[in-house]
Amino acid sequence: MGMLIVIDQPAYGTWAGREALDMAFSLAAFDQPVSLLFTGAGVSWLRKDQDPAGIDQKSVAKNLAAAPVFGIEAVMADRASCQRLGLDAGDMAAGVTLVDADAQLLSQFDQTAFSA
Amino acid sequence: MTDTDQHSFTLVITGAPYSSQAPQTALSFARAAVAARHRIDRVFLYGDGVHLASALVTPPSDETHWPNAWARFLTDHKVAGIACIASALRRGLVDEGEQKRYELTASNLLSPFSIAGLGEWVEGTVKSTRTLYFHGG
Repeated sequence: MGMLIVIDQPAYGTWAGREALDMAFSLAAFDQPVSLLFTGAGVSWLRKDQDPAGIDQKSVAKNLAAAPVFGIEAVMADRASCQRLGLDAGDMAAGVTLVDADAQLLSQFDQTAFSA
Repeated sequence: MTDTDQHSFTLVITGAPYSSQAPQTALSFARAAVAARHRIDRVFLYGDGVHLASALVTPPSDETHWPNAWARFLTDHKVAGIACIASALRRGLVDEGEQKRYELTASNLLSPFSIAGLGEWVEGTVKSTRTLYFHGG
């Protein structure tokens, strides 16, 4: 079922997550099936109403909002990570599915790549 | 993996030399894979991994020169080494074409590395039987 790109790096303070998102968009642009999973510190990507102007950054939420346009099949968030970081469904941008990031989920994909 | 399985690999290096062990771990893997008669399709440098393709890297003489070591491997085994253009430009790695395009004072891409887009990585993930990632963190 295509590739799973796992973003486990925070939205700001490192470029790794952004470059992982570019990988996902690139796969989609070449018509390859790809889904996104946010886990660990990566769930910070999904908080709605981000305003990082104070640290001279552009909002990653805007980048991520383009996912359906590019043809990303699913945007998922690890349930346990969200709980740990105090993020409930009401805090999250639309279109995100809560999942349990376990072996069963990973086994649904042909390939997995992590941001790092 | 048994001895009779033939694999072709795409290697993705995202960790920089001298601040991570990713390039040297990847090179050890690549040498072992070739020795076991597997094929390396391509090596794709992404994120901080693009620093591996800088012609200006100058470690102390008693340390391994990882860009040169990788360049030798790529040449000896006729493997394509590609640095992602978006990662490269952000980090100050340019070939002569990009130097001209952006009117920069110099270029610094080490031969035989080349600069290209993420499409090269996508093609690798499709064509190779395995794609392996060597991260810095």
